[in-house]
Amino acid sequence: MMPAEGSISTLVASLWLLNIVLDTGGQLAFKAAAGDPAAGDGLARWKHMASRPWLWLGVGSYVAEFLVWIAFLSLVPLSEGVLLGSINIVAIMLAGRFLFGEKLTRLRVIGIALVTLGVTIVGLGT
Amino acid sequence: MKRFYLLGFLLLMAFDTLAQISFKYAGTQALPVEASLAWLLRVFGQPWVYGAVIGYVGAFFTWMALLKHAPIGPAFAASHLEVVSVMLLSIWLFDEQLTLARALGALAIIGGIVCLGLAESREHAAEADADPALG
Repeated sequence: MMPAEGSISTLVASLWLLNIVLDTGGQLAFKAAAGDPAAGDGLARWKHMASRPWLWLGVGSYVAEFLVWIAFLSLVPLSEGVLLGSINIVAIMLAGRFLFGEKLTRLRVIGIALVTLGVTIVGLGT
Repeated sequence: MKRFYLLGFLLLMAFDTLAQISFKYAGTQALPVEASLAWLLRVFGQPWVYGAVIGYVGAFFTWMALLKHAPIGPAFAASHLEVVSVMLLSIWLFDEQLTLARALGALAIIGGIVCLGLAESREHAAEADADPALG
């Protein structure tokens, strides 16, 4: 049964978390696949990527994310779902910071804080 | 050329919006949620899920085309600001409410996305005219 609007069930929360993990994991896997300096150019680059797990890990994550997102949205109002999903932007930037040493400028930190604040407000309002 | 970018950004938002609306319809028609083959068959057995695929593929190619030439900051913002169009359409299509929490949360998120878009623009500009003497 569909939970009543106004209560976030464990299932909804789990699907939301799983979506973050799959989206971030997929992006990082694609980054690892595309950023491999040994890959070469053109067709050879694609062959190189296809022979390694990263590209496929990324594709697999995205397929799983597609299904998880459908399940998630079927349980929450769409307007709330897309707002809660915005946290993925934050997760990816933080992952880039920790795994690839990407710099977080002041403007980025402000942006991350605002998105997080917004998602928190929406989450608390459910 | 500016008009071309603007059209590209709008197209990107339109594809993203189509995808989200289709996801919602597809999910609703496949209820109840369960980790089973029956659920998968319900998801893929109705047309909306393919609307979502079209939205995703369309957004992907629009994004790639835009990234070739368009400024990265506005492109980043445009690729995430579909929350606005999706919210407005949800009120109309799904009779959802614009609650205070959603409105305030959306404002903060939009503000955050704009900041991140500005950050992308600045860092890109800084890279483009990077002066080794200044680091």
